[in-house]
Amino acid sequence: MMKVIIDNFSNIFNITLIYATFRSAVPIIFAALCAAITQQADILNIATEGIMLIGGFAAVTVSYFTGSWFLGVLTAMLLGAVIAMIMAVGHIRYNADICGIGMGINLFAVAFTRFLLKAVYNTNGAFSDPSIKPIPRVNIPFIASIPVIGDIFNNWTVTEWFVLILIAFLQFLFYKTVWGLRLRAVGQFPEATKTAGINVTMMKYEAMLISGVVGGLAGAHLSLGYSVQFVDNMTNNRGFMGVAAMYFGGANPILTSIGCLLFGLADSIGNRLQAYGIPSQFVLMMPYIVTVVVLAISMAIKLSTNRRKESSLTTAAVAEEAGS
Amino acid sequence: MSKTLESARKVLLTILLALAIGAVFIIAFGENPFSAYIALVQGAFKGKLHLGTTLSTFTPLLLTSVAFCVAAEAGAFNVGVEGEVFLGGIVAAYLGVNWGFLPVPALMIVCFLGAMLVSAAWAFIPAVLRAYFNVSEVCTTILMNSVALQITSYLVSGPMSAGTANAQSKPVLVTLPQLMKPSNLNAGIFIAIIVVVLVIFMLYKTTLGFKIRAVGKNPSHADYVGISSKRIFITSMMISGMMGGIAGCIQVLGAYGYFLNNFAAGLGSNGMLAALIVRSNVLATPFMAFFLAILNSGAMGMQQATGVPKALVDTITAVFIIIATMDTLFEFKKNSTKKKAKKEVTEG
Repeated sequence: MMKVIIDNFSNIFNITLIYATFRSAVPIIFAALCAAITQQADILNIATEGIMLIGGFAAVTVSYFTGSWFLGVLTAMLLGAVIAMIMAVGHIRYNADICGIGMGINLFAVAFTRFLLKAVYNTNGAFSDPSIKPIPRVNIPFIASIPVIGDIFNNWTVTEWFVLILIAFLQFLFYKTVWGLRLRAVGQFPEATKTAGINVTMMKYEAMLISGVVGGLAGAHLSLGYSVQFVDNMTNNRGFMGVAAMYFGGANPILTSIGCLLFGLADSIGNRLQAYGIPSQFVLMMPYIVTVVVLAISMAIKLSTNRRKESSLTTAAVAEEAGS
Repeated sequence: MSKTLESARKVLLTILLALAIGAVFIIAFGENPFSAYIALVQGAFKGKLHLGTTLSTFTPLLLTSVAFCVAAEAGAFNVGVEGEVFLGGIVAAYLGVNWGFLPVPALMIVCFLGAMLVSAAWAFIPAVLRAYFNVSEVCTTILMNSVALQITSYLVSGPMSAGTANAQSKPVLVTLPQLMKPSNLNAGIFIAIIVVVLVIFMLYKTTLGFKIRAVGKNPSHADYVGISSKRIFITSMMISGMMGGIAGCIQVLGAYGYFLNNFAAGLGSNGMLAALIVRSNVLATPFMAFFLAILNSGAMGMQQATGVPKALVDTITAVFIIIATMDTLFEFKKNSTKKKAKKEVTEG
């Protein structure tokens, strides 16, 4: 495997790899942001996968029947919000275990979209049609004429540009606004937050709602931007990779997105290696292995820094006591 | 006793509600829900073939669902049972094909031991990551399922391939006795039942079981009284993995006689469903696994008889757990009395 990489180094690692990495990372970034929002309120949104899948199906369906990609994306976001609200009501009002109900939503999404694929389009496996309107690509003639930058930045889909805005917006929302402060307070210290007069339950509902909207958008991008079709179980664990990236970045939008780029890199290098006779199974498992390894390493580092912080605090306290 | 009755009532209500929601979908699909459900029951029980298929669907589900429960008793959410079934299956297939120098009974035991060993080792990885590095086991086990699937898929289409059009291994040299032909029910169902009984005994009547339950209830308390919560957590994940391995071994040696690519798809998640519906209650889970086996094998009959796709039954079962996980959904009566009591207190 190493030999193949070295022999074809210039074909695998060239300028187009940058966009390829970004392109395969974007669906995961959306998913990770979806998980990060609720994580800030201390809810593990494991249903990201299911919300994406339903969003993806809705986007393709609406785009196919109305011919408007925008309506498709809008419907996906709306449905994502509905699913998230079902989850929120189950978890907050009826005390459902978040992992349990989340996995329930995921299994529901896989089965239900498979059923609808059969019921609406009468096919098994995949649906693609020329009358599905994809999310348009942004062609900037001015940039296209510049050699390297043109290769990297031209012809992004609208949602690929939008994800950058979303990352910046969420970063601002979490760390620079009152709402973000309250959200993080709910996640870290619900009791104290309640004492401060903040409606914890309401904050959790709001976080779930926004998370659902972003999750639906993730699905819409996957089925109308990343590809123009709906395939049975097309999310292919991207939602879970997003959740892993969220852990990696500690629910911080920018750090989380950097984690996603790493998985995107593994994915796009793998795709290129496939052309050089590496068995497809190795290529397909690579992003998962990278995700698990990176997650393990990052959590280990986080743990050890935390411990070091703690021990320095205690030693400082001990020294102070001894001094006084 | 009243508590058992209460939870039985809850499960029954959940089933009825899920079936009602399913009926709405069936009507929307343009079929009669009653005839569809009757076709489902017939598909599960009518004749030797259907009954045998139901029971042979039940066999791995029984193991995977209880495997999920064992991990849940120690506080783990082990989605990785499916990957463990795959790996157990491939190990059993490898040993069963290549270790023909052993006498038949020894070979069978070796197949089971090998499957258990590898699957336990596979479960060890996410368990350690969780216990020592606080990495969410939900995430890692899900991702590792994909890795396990790809590893086995590579092996049966490459080095271990039988050279047929379908990706599958050569037939194993030792098989479990078949019962109720032409279905693929086999003696593995007895092995599964014995294993599950042993595991339930272990959980409720041995020190290890007590420790596992103690860790699941409150890990810091367990640590305080001298039970290493981390070790027990890892042990329970490994027991869970072993059960997955046994399920894979039974499928390969009993149901198929060879390793079929992607054979365990859905076994782990259906087992998890069964456990989640009854909130990982080990004693109730086998019954729920049986119920899901009926739904799964009956769904094929329903699909053939009425044209309602099998995916619909999967949808209904998923609706099931969504409803079933909501602890307090069917407690409206209690809630309203509580509210009344509160009101009286405040007014009084």
